[in-house]
Amino acid sequence: MPKALPPIIRIAKYTLTDEVRQKSFVIMFVICAIFVFLIRSCYQGNYMVNGQVLDAGTIIRVVSKVTFHVIAAGVMLITALLSMRVFRRDRDDGMQSCILSKPIARWQYVAGKILGLWALSIIFMFILHSIVFIITSINLKVVMPEYLIASLLCSFNLLFVVVAVLLLSLLMPDIVAFLCVMGIGIVGFVADGIFAISHSQMAQAMIQQPGSQSDLTWWKFVYYLWPKLSGTQQFASSFIGSEGFHGFGSIYPLINILIYGLILGTLLFRRFRNEDII
Amino acid sequence: MIELNAATKRYGTLAAVDNVSFSVKAGEYFALLGPNGAGKTTIVKMLLDFTQPTSGSLSVNGLPSTHAASRTAVGYLAENYHIPPYLSGWQYLQRCAELLDISRSDAMDQCRRIVELIGMQGREYTKVNTYSKGMIQRFGLGAALIGNPKLLILDEPTAGLDPIGIREIRQLLESLKDQGMTIFLNSHLLSEVEKICDNAAIINRGSLLVKDVISALVKDGDTLEDVFVRFVKG
Repeated sequence: MPKALPPIIRIAKYTLTDEVRQKSFVIMFVICAIFVFLIRSCYQGNYMVNGQVLDAGTIIRVVSKVTFHVIAAGVMLITALLSMRVFRRDRDDGMQSCILSKPIARWQYVAGKILGLWALSIIFMFILHSIVFIITSINLKVVMPEYLIASLLCSFNLLFVVVAVLLLSLLMPDIVAFLCVMGIGIVGFVADGIFAISHSQMAQAMIQQPGSQSDLTWWKFVYYLWPKLSGTQQFASSFIGSEGFHGFGSIYPLINILIYGLILGTLLFRRFRNEDII
Repeated sequence: MIELNAATKRYGTLAAVDNVSFSVKAGEYFALLGPNGAGKTTIVKMLLDFTQPTSGSLSVNGLPSTHAASRTAVGYLAENYHIPPYLSGWQYLQRCAELLDISRSDAMDQCRRIVELIGMQGREYTKVNTYSKGMIQRFGLGAALIGNPKLLILDEPTAGLDPIGIREIRQLLESLKDQGMTIFLNSHLLSEVEKICDNAAIINRGSLLVKDVISALVKDGDTLEDVFVRFVKG
């Protein structure tokens, strides 16, 4: 295993540096950084809820949390965009045949690609979250290290996106692979939203038909098995502020995403083993 | 060094390579000849495990071609070579050296020597997107030579080169022969093959037609081209 590691790290390094060299990547990063800086002005506004003026601390915490989610979701989108063309570009540039004509196994090549893309997207997200972290710390005059921990927890979502897009890009056109993974994410976000609303006190009061519970069992099953991208993000953001853990239920999305990552990763390695190299 | 044992590759009902068996010994200078679509590149791809045979087996360096270790000390130059356009030729050679786990100082020495060997001094630091097809092919050959391989697999090494470039590559390949390197060459340029190779095999429509020493194939008054046409046209 130690001998297998250097080529993986080198391929990861090339993947990372090759992506950073792309103009499109630089443009995306600059746009995201500008967007995050613009959010700064939200911290200085006066907000009223039910006629009561909110204190600065509450505003900053709420805005930081909203920004956390926007960045995490945005970076997932960018990661999918970066991942969808990786195999094709390597094939077109001759790097794939160059690497695989050396004594490097296919699994090492794929592992290097996953690692490089994952590392790049983690760094991308961490930088954006760090900007918010610094702004929040300055405005609130309190350092919130849990903000950065939450960012790192969200990185498991990025691993899922990288592996899923790479796998699907071997089976279908790149853009379709991108759209499929985005579709999985969007459906998950919407389902989580509906689930949260249906569990609110108001919704519970409205649903007073005991018979309807059994009809929902099948949907609940699908809901819990669906990749929990939004759930993982919620779990990570629970570290920000004082929400804390809520038992196994809160950690389940993370386990769900890790299991999906493992399954899709295995399928990706198996699929690439039979791929013809051009 | 190379062994094909009833190697077959089918794409649906089409047999790109059909029950081909031959071997290439260490130090041999071997040419695989055949018209377009004969299955030459498919054989090369199977040797490098770029594609898997439908049946039969292939071995390189005494190991099944499916083992990554079989590609140790093997240099490969693809037909229509590509190099990432955002790299310079030097960076590309460095990358190839790094992938072979060559130390930094050794890599620098080798790259410098190879740049000289392929006649690209002065152009090695410019971006690949400014190179001509022939220049890319030279860097591709340079990349194949990194790590002092014992076996060179060359798929149309002179594709895209002008007559002077072809001559230079031929001279370079001849010098490699003197160093005891084994060369597996896919080429259309029969006159070049006749000048530099010891052995040749002719394949057509995926089947091996003949494999012999070139001097035995080419009889008095004939050229390799005559022999090739005779075998291919039946």
